[in-house]
Amino acid sequence: MTNSFTDYKNSDVFLMIGANPAENHPQVMRFAGIAAAKRGAKIIVVDPRFTKTAAKADIYAPIRPGTDIAFLYGIMNYAIENNLYFHDYVVNYTNASFLVSPEYGFSDGLFTGLTEKDGNFSYDTKTWQYQTDGANIKKDPTLQDPQCVFQILKRHVSRYDIKTVCNITGTPEDVYRKVCELYCSTGKPDKAGNLLYAMGITQHTYGGQNVRATAMLQLLLGNIGIAGGGVNAQRGESNVQGSTDQAMLYHYIPGYNPCPDVNTPTLKDYIEKQVPKTSYWSNRNKFIISMLKAWFGDKATAENDFCYGWLPKHTGKDHSHMAIFQAMAEGKIKGFFAWGQNPAVGGPLASRTRDALAKLDWMVGVDLFETETVSFWKRPGVNPADIKTEVFLLPTAMSYEKEGTVANSSRWIQWRWKAVEPPGEAKSDLWIADRIFKAIRKEYQAGGKFTDPILNMVWDYDVPGHDEPDIMKVGREMNGYLVADGSLLDSFAKLKEDGSTACGVWIYAGYMFVDPALKVPACQRRSREDKTGLGLFPKWSFAWPANRRIVYNRCSADPAGKPWDPAKTLVAWDGTQWITNDVPDFGFKDANTGAFIPPNISASNCFIMNTEGVGRLFAPTGMKDGPLPEHYEPIESPVKNLISKQQNNPVAARYKGDFAKVAHTASPEFPYIATTHRLVEHYQSGAVTRNCPTLAEFMPEMFATISPGLAKKLGVKPGDLIVVSTVRGEITCKANVLPIVKPLKVNGSEIEIVGLPWHWGYQGLAPGSTANDLTPFVGDPNTMIPEYKAFLCNVKKASGH
Amino acid sequence: MSKGVLVDVTRCIGCKSCAVSCKTWNDLPSKTSTFTNNWDSPGKVTADAWTIITSFVIEQGDQIKWRFVKRQCMHCNEPACESACFTHSFVKTKEGAVIYKPTELKQDYCVGCRYCMIACPFGIPSFQWDKAFPYVQKCRFCYDRMKEQGLQPACVTSCPTQTLLFGDRDKLLKEAWDRINRDQRYVKHVYGEKEYGGTSWLYISDVPFDKIGFRTEAYGKPVSQKSIPSYTWDVLKWTPYIFFGWGAILTAMRAYTKRRAQVHDESELYEPEKKG
Amino acid sequence: MERTWSFRFTPFRFILGIIVVVAVVAAVMRFVFGLGAVTNLSDEWPWGLWIGFDLLCGIALAGGGFSTALIVHVLHREKYLPIARAALLTSLIGYIIALVSLFLDIGRWFNFWRPFFYWGYHSVLFEVFWCISLYTMVQVLEFGEIFFEKIRCAPLQKILHFFMPFLLILGIVLPSLHQSSLGSLYIVTIDRLNPLWWSMLLPFFFVWSAFFLGPAMVTFEGTLAARSYGRAPELPVFQSLTKVTLWMMIIYLLVKIGDLIYRNELGRAFNGSFESNMFLIEMVVFVIAPIVMYATPSIRTNLRGVVTASFLVVAGVVFNRMNVVFTGMADAAGGHYFPSMWEWIITAGMWSALILAYCFVVENFPILPKEDLEHHEGGKAHIEAGKSIHA
Ligand SMILES: Nc1nc2c(c(=O)[nH]1)N[C@H]1C(S)=C(S)[C@@H](COP(=O)(O)OP(=O)(O)OC[C@H]3O[C@@H](n4cnc5c(=O)[nH]c(N)nc54)[C@H](O)[C@@H]3O)O[C@H]1N2
Ligand SMILES: Nc1nc2c(c(=O)[nH]1)N[C@H]1C(S)=C(S)[C@@H](COP(=O)(O)OP(=O)(O)OC[C@H]3O[C@@H](n4cnc5c(=O)[nH]c(N)nc54)[C@H](O)[C@@H]3O)O[C@H]1N2
Ligand code: SF4
Ligand code: SF4
Ligand code: SF4
Ligand code: SF4
Ligand code: SF4
Ligand SMILES: [Mo]
Repeated sequence: MTNSFTDYKNSDVFLMIGANPAENHPQVMRFAGIAAAKRGAKIIVVDPRFTKTAAKADIYAPIRPGTDIAFLYGIMNYAIENNLYFHDYVVNYTNASFLVSPEYGFSDGLFTGLTEKDGNFSYDTKTWQYQTDGANIKKDPTLQDPQCVFQILKRHVSRYDIKTVCNITGTPEDVYRKVCELYCSTGKPDKAGNLLYAMGITQHTYGGQNVRATAMLQLLLGNIGIAGGGVNAQRGESNVQGSTDQAMLYHYIPGYNPCPDVNTPTLKDYIEKQVPKTSYWSNRNKFIISMLKAWFGDKATAENDFCYGWLPKHTGKDHSHMAIFQAMAEGKIKGFFAWGQNPAVGGPLASRTRDALAKLDWMVGVDLFETETVSFWKRPGVNPADIKTEVFLLPTAMSYEKEGTVANSSRWIQWRWKAVEPPGEAKSDLWIADRIFKAIRKEYQAGGKFTDPILNMVWDYDVPGHDEPDIMKVGREMNGYLVADGSLLDSFAKLKEDGSTACGVWIYAGYMFVDPALKVPACQRRSREDKTGLGLFPKWSFAWPANRRIVYNRCSADPAGKPWDPAKTLVAWDGTQWITNDVPDFGFKDANTGAFIPPNISASNCFIMNTEGVGRLFAPTGMKDGPLPEHYEPIESPVKNLISKQQNNPVAARYKGDFAKVAHTASPEFPYIATTHRLVEHYQSGAVTRNCPTLAEFMPEMFATISPGLAKKLGVKPGDLIVVSTVRGEITCKANVLPIVKPLKVNGSEIEIVGLPWHWGYQGLAPGSTANDLTPFVGDPNTMIPEYKAFLCNVKKASGH
Repeated sequence: MSKGVLVDVTRCIGCKSCAVSCKTWNDLPSKTSTFTNNWDSPGKVTADAWTIITSFVIEQGDQIKWRFVKRQCMHCNEPACESACFTHSFVKTKEGAVIYKPTELKQDYCVGCRYCMIACPFGIPSFQWDKAFPYVQKCRFCYDRMKEQGLQPACVTSCPTQTLLFGDRDKLLKEAWDRINRDQRYVKHVYGEKEYGGTSWLYISDVPFDKIGFRTEAYGKPVSQKSIPSYTWDVLKWTPYIFFGWGAILTAMRAYTKRRAQVHDESELYEPEKKG
Repeated sequence: MERTWSFRFTPFRFILGIIVVVAVVAAVMRFVFGLGAVTNLSDEWPWGLWIGFDLLCGIALAGGGFSTALIVHVLHREKYLPIARAALLTSLIGYIIALVSLFLDIGRWFNFWRPFFYWGYHSVLFEVFWCISLYTMVQVLEFGEIFFEKIRCAPLQKILHFFMPFLLILGIVLPSLHQSSLGSLYIVTIDRLNPLWWSMLLPFFFVWSAFFLGPAMVTFEGTLAARSYGRAPELPVFQSLTKVTLWMMIIYLLVKIGDLIYRNELGRAFNGSFESNMFLIEMVVFVIAPIVMYATPSIRTNLRGVVTASFLVVAGVVFNRMNVVFTGMADAAGGHYFPSMWEWIITAGMWSALILAYCFVVENFPILPKEDLEHHEGGKAHIEAGKSIHA
């Protein structure tokens, strides 16, 4: 999230697209409510279902699952055609004026550079690059040059006129026009448009490009870097932010640094390839070297590349969730830790996922409950004797039964104190990780292949006389310290490439640094002080990076440093110095002299994480499936792509064997569109919540929501048992008949939508059938996220009912 | 000072946090329930669910409204449950809470006749049918929190959207009307201001109350604004007069008619039945 | 009169006995497992068969006690003396039944004594409770006179006899009060009880109907008893009783209609709804019809006629109470209620007990009037008939 929940009260218009915060992030509705009450903010909700959030919307726009790019492009086109975009912002803070290579081209749904290698497609991004003379990129500030990003974008989105868009999305034209008018009203300096998105946007075979589209719209309207604006991903698991920060994703190492790979065998290679000349990433070498110091201590020296050689090297192969389970199904994976996850319910095509588990020699569940995953070997319909997998369950303490930090969507790293003792033999995850590592190291002491990293890893979290490792010690290592005296760093600005600093996660630098005034580590601060009244709360916990509450905040002021909206000043240049209500996200002070850096410098470098220093309307790098988003149909779709001949994302992630099954376009056996969603009463696979008696009572049974029209057609009454089927399987559940789903008119024909919550499995107090037994095993090429949100299904009344 | 809660239906998102914290604070058990089409299981207040979030999908043309309404004891100003109870096991406290003495004050007089349940115009008091030694149960307005800890009710404190506003009833009434007058979306009616003599819990809404589960009319007439106790009192107050008056009349009549009556020896008159 | 006790078990009585035993078992279950286990009661229907029928009707049917008491002992219409004690007896047993069913029904029975000490005087139930308890005591005392008469305990009998006048007055005032407050009980159901029945006059309707029900009840049970014991029914007594009933019922009918007109709910009686039809049946079949029958000499003067009419009156009051408790409440209460097997059994048990008790008492105590011989002979035929009832 670029902004924070507490900042939502500064918004004028909310565009909640593919997110249902009323159920999934209730606190969002608190601050949206304040904005509505205090400043008459308006809410737009774009969702295939009339959700609890839609119930609070000023405009609800129904949308066919998987058509968000068309929807968002339509708004951009409207903004450009009617001159409603924020011109000065676009010219100065985006790459609109940058000239793109003349070889760049786009025709009928495909960008230049698509190459085919034994059946697999991929893009060569050469033709997507900027025109340069020497070191600098060619620009046309008038935005007239046909090869400038703005003109390219204009041409690209001009195909998405309101009529075409509504034919694709099924949104009624009058409603859509209202959305365009209202949201484009935020293209003014003193208006803030807040774009919230979540899984409705990401869980598609072009989810990455969906997100790009949201960001482009916000750039066009000048809504990024300002109070009340932003591109705000409503994050998921209570600490998913934290876990991605720690490189939960397979192609990262901590702090969003790319994983060393076979092309960067030495530190030198890595620095050459992965440390850009410009942008803040030019400091990446400092981050990496400090990380290595944190990991390997005195063993890591300049002479031995700080033990860079000890890091495993990524082959570039796909090791995402789906790839892992395909490999498991093929018997290529012998052992598996299900550590705080329940893929037997949460993974795509969960039925096959469960079969795959049976191919393992051993599995360790580290969980609070005996989940569907942990008990897959005795699930309904299987004979435990037939399953050879040896399964262990390590009971773990829940968040309230242990200490540590949780990072929320606002990037606030908040310390949580232990409320109660864990029950029975349950231990904290840290304790379990600690013991496992020590056990492994013991094994390695007996010798083996490549033992150095394990034997030399810094692992000193013990406190004499204590069973529990000292989590503060872990925290200090992540925060970073001076190798010389171990004193904690207050900022990553202090990190060095000479090995004099150690820091586990550079973006966390400062989060454990003791606040001089409050006398507690930054992440334990709980001061409600908010001088600006903007809800920045600078002394409430610690927001990475550098306790910055709103990132890209340079963009909240014009190039001369004058705030676009003085009522919401984040940073301002008063002619001699910077007023800094939020921590500036740009070079504002010379590190050595301490002198203020005048605004014109930072103006051209307001997106300090981008090599070109500005926001990308056009992305020469970073995306595997095109420099611009383009509407494709979900892999399973009831209709042909209306905008081009290219039906699907050409580079979508697909898998083999059982996992390849998909229904063909406009399949008559599967005439309805299914989408999956969450409910406020349950969390995820329901492992926890279906074991909470109260929550089980409030939302007891699995159901599928169908429109009253469809119910009538099928002769189904509310509460009847129905069978929902896809080409991959079928489930039985209760029929939920409500007009919160209604058929959508797509290119003239009505298409029914079926809503499926995915919280149920065969374990717990309130068992039920699993929606993911139906979902397709395909995903986005950039993030590998599965297409949970749009697939084809059929619905029948269950026989004998 | 008599407290109350103002429930602003326009703000509720149906997250049920309030219902969960009610169970948590009051240690209420949960039973396995079944699916309800409106996502509001268990669907009605019970002895173990003192508050529930009812849900209403209202179609107006192709427009849909979805409203969520927290229901619990209304804490009437003149509670029918209190006046109905012949052991005075319910009482309206000066704080505004209507409490059940057996559990709240350990004054265990309730005989379990359930007349309070018949009397409540909102169908609130619930009975522990499955217990051999059952109690009547209902929302207690978190009297313990209010009284002993000076805390707001558990449900109110856990509401993320400020749907629930706790305060002095008269202040709340003012706030309610302010909101209604400020914003024409609201229905011009504060439910609970007058109904059955007024209640401590007040509701404002942007959809007509009869569409979201409140009785505004009964058998074609607006529901009573007189409190239920005032009705029963209208008849009860005659009791002593009837008792003595009727007694006197009878005695008089008897004395009068006796003179004309010849005396009998009743033992001459009757005999046990022989052929049984 | 001798002191020996006699009670003969006929097959019929044996069956009744069995029912009572089963009911007792059910009652035990109810106490061990709670009301939910044996009844179909719910939060929507907190009151069911036991309160609605056993209590409300039991008490109403016992109305014969106080109305005859009034007629005989206050108005000194001596010709009614023959039925006075029988009426008293049924009334007493009726009340005992009511109390037992109440005891079974209250969830916290072990607290049954509390209301004597903790007074919720603002409750209608408070009045009902006190009146019923006191009145039952009064009746026990009244009956005590008969009892001591039987066991030849003159002194005690004397004392009681001395207090009898006072007891008699109480014995009329108290039931008048609670018969009416049984109606007042339902005043709280305003806006929920269908306006065809809900009225501020509920107390009047209840007490009034209980009163005119009395004679009808006496007639009805009188003939029943007569047949089963092969006596000649007190036809003349019954006939003259009808006059009382007749006039009271006419007044009842007029007030009902007046009340509906006054509250302008009369239209509701003809709107074709289930409630309206039930109401019309109640009025036409069980009020107007008996009035007509009583009013027609040809019917009034023959036994079958009087008894049928009286039966209609009795059934009518039951019907009315059921309408108030169930028909009129159903719409507002929601959910649905039908008594469980166990509720039926326990009810059946209690009424069986009533019959057995009645038989036992009349066969051992001087309740029924002495008969002269010819009557006796003439009664022979009835004996068979009576047997057939026993069987
Ligand atoms: N109570 C509760 N809260 C949660 C969770 C939970 O399980 N329960 N999970 C947490 C986690 S891990 C996450 S990731 C977040 C997820 O938070 P959300 O993304 O808000 O949750 P979802 O319900 O999966 O999806 C949001 C909405 O997307 C809509 N949608 C489906 N397809 C499309 C589409 O193609 N386009 C658009 N515009 N909308 C579409 C769905 O109808 C749904 O209403 O919630 C977090 N919070
Ligand atoms: N059809 C469909 N499928 C989806 C989605 C969808 O929208 N639609 N959403 C996807 C998304 S966004 C996500 S994030 C995934 C989530 O998928 P999973 O992460 O597999 O599902 P969870 O239920 O969150 O699993 C968390 C597990 O961790 C356990 N747990 C809780 N606390 C702790 C702890 O402190 N320590 C340990 N060790 N364990 C703990 C819980 O008991 C639970 O078993 O599901 C995905 N699946
Ligand atoms: S994290 Fe907790 S408090 Fe925040 S929205 Fe979710 S449930 Fe509510
Ligand atoms: S709502 Fe019912 S239970 Fe609550 S105080 Fe009023 S009468 Fe009593
Ligand atoms: S059930 Fe208890 S509280 Fe209710 S009226 Fe009867 S005695 Fe009073
Ligand atoms: S006031 Fe207390 S008891 Fe009543 S609903 Fe709220 S939490 Fe529950
Ligand atoms: S907590 Fe507030 S928003 Fe949530 S259901 Fe209760 S009243 Fe509504
Ligand atoms: Mo997630």
